[in-house]
Amino acid sequence: MIKLLRAGFTRLRKNKLFWLLTVFSIGLSLFMIYTQYSDMKKYEEVIEVEQLMLNYSMMVGIVIAIFTSLFLGVEYSDGTIRNKICIGHKRVNIYLSNLIIVTLTSLFSYILFLIIVASIGIPLFGTITIAQSKLLMLLGCIFVTVIAYSSIFTFLAMIISNKTITAIVSIMLTFALLMNAMICFSKLEAPKTIQEATIVDGETKIEEVPNPKYPSEKQKKLYRTMLDINPAGQMLQLAGRVVPNLSILPLYSLGIIVVFTGTGLVLFKKKELK
Amino acid sequence: MEIVLETNNLEKRYKDFRALNHANIHIEKGAIYGLIGKNGAGKTTLIRIICGLQEPTSGSYIIYGKRNNSTDIINARKRMGAIIETPSIYGEMTARDNIILQYKLVGMPEYDGVNELLKLVGLENTGKKKAKDFSLGMKQRLGIAIALANNPDFLILDEPINGLDPQGIIEIRELILKLNKEKRITILISSHYLDELSKIATHYGFLDSGSIIQEITSEELMKKMEHKLILKVSDEKEFVKYFEKNKISYEVVDSKTINVYGKYNLSKFINELSKKNLIADEIHEQQESLENYYMNLIGGGNND
Repeated sequence: MIKLLRAGFTRLRKNKLFWLLTVFSIGLSLFMIYTQYSDMKKYEEVIEVEQLMLNYSMMVGIVIAIFTSLFLGVEYSDGTIRNKICIGHKRVNIYLSNLIIVTLTSLFSYILFLIIVASIGIPLFGTITIAQSKLLMLLGCIFVTVIAYSSIFTFLAMIISNKTITAIVSIMLTFALLMNAMICFSKLEAPKTIQEATIVDGETKIEEVPNPKYPSEKQKKLYRTMLDINPAGQMLQLAGRVVPNLSILPLYSLGIIVVFTGTGLVLFKKKELK
Repeated sequence: MEIVLETNNLEKRYKDFRALNHANIHIEKGAIYGLIGKNGAGKTTLIRIICGLQEPTSGSYIIYGKRNNSTDIINARKRMGAIIETPSIYGEMTARDNIILQYKLVGMPEYDGVNELLKLVGLENTGKKKAKDFSLGMKQRLGIAIALANNPDFLILDEPINGLDPQGIIEIRELILKLNKEKRITILISSHYLDELSKIATHYGFLDSGSIIQEITSEELMKKMEHKLILKVSDEKEFVKYFEKNKISYEVVDSKTINVYGKYNLSKFINELSKKNLIADEIHEQQESLENYYMNLIGGGNND
């Protein structure tokens, strides 16, 4: 395992995609700081630096999907995964080392973003306005969700032998998760009543009527659970700082990690390689 | 003689298709074993199974005394290097970086041997050129260098000369011979370029429809392919006495058939025999190429 990790990190250091990801994290953080600073100057807006720190969580899923599918996809397209098995590395170790490398790279990307936002953002916009413990909890949850994302995309990259298909499936899945999260979120945010305009004797009357699309308690529970399980849903809540079940989110993420990694290990062990 | 690889009734099925059908091969230490078979005969499937990329449906194999279902097989594989179909190289990296990465994968503490390996395969001057920009021959040679990083005792090369130009073929041939002679590496090499294989192999395994139909040493094969006269006789004993007396190379195939090896003037030869009252019922002249031999073999002809 150590040998696989050493080789993996050596490859990472030489990998263009990794450096592109690093530049992206730096660029994104600088871009966010610049736009917020401009708004602050122009409209005298109050910028909360902690919000900037949480914003990357909304797009980190797509970043991990692209990185993982292309970085691990090369193992199949260049045939290097065969080499690892031929020289006696266990399949379990190959899978886990790839998962570790992808996870650490994804976390690195987020932490790099955080460091730049904090080191430039705090002097520019002022100190963090929420309790540090709350911010740490939110960031902690984001990190666990990043690991969950990594486990999902590592699973796909290790099971699908074609780099292009892996990339397409991973990116489509990310958007599907995001769509699902937004639908669930909007359903839960639906108002209980809506205003209805009626014309009585030529006069327009506006009255509050029950919203027919307002979900039942059962539906609410279902939407809430779907939102909490879905990594994109978790990120949506964490970025918005509206998390009714903050403590349960890491548990769902851990569930995702265990299910995807466990299934991935079993399938990869049986996978017939060419 | 130590056996490096032995397979026992190896079978591989893909749904209804049987890619390997009770294949049995035996590779001795120090051999260059040419695995011969046409496309689809099962060469790559056999190699994939041996390298652990696929599991056999039934049967087993033993590498350096370790059976495939034992946990020790991992340790036996550490003594192997392999190229299966295409070399396993990272296209975005240089030749040197690819070898260093392989050193890390196999746990070599020092990288002193990198230059030597690059020199061995003739890639010492590739500098910062990325492997994806290499010619096919260079990629194959880099693949071999990577496969050699763990100082293997057993090297598996699947179709290493596919797509190479004549110069590339010569380079790979010379490299294989060098590895076998100087580093004493046992080599399993699969190919359907029979002429090329005949220049290097010390042993052959003929694979057809997933089965090894014959294993033979190059000496035995050369003898079989030598120019020969096939004599159909009613009593072989008198002929044998004459051949022994005149030191003529021969082989009694059965009580009615004798093969006489070497190039003879047929009418003179018949004349000499008739002087000794040795009359053959039939005499056929035969000279086989490896291709003919293989075609006869898979066509069901009995060449033994």
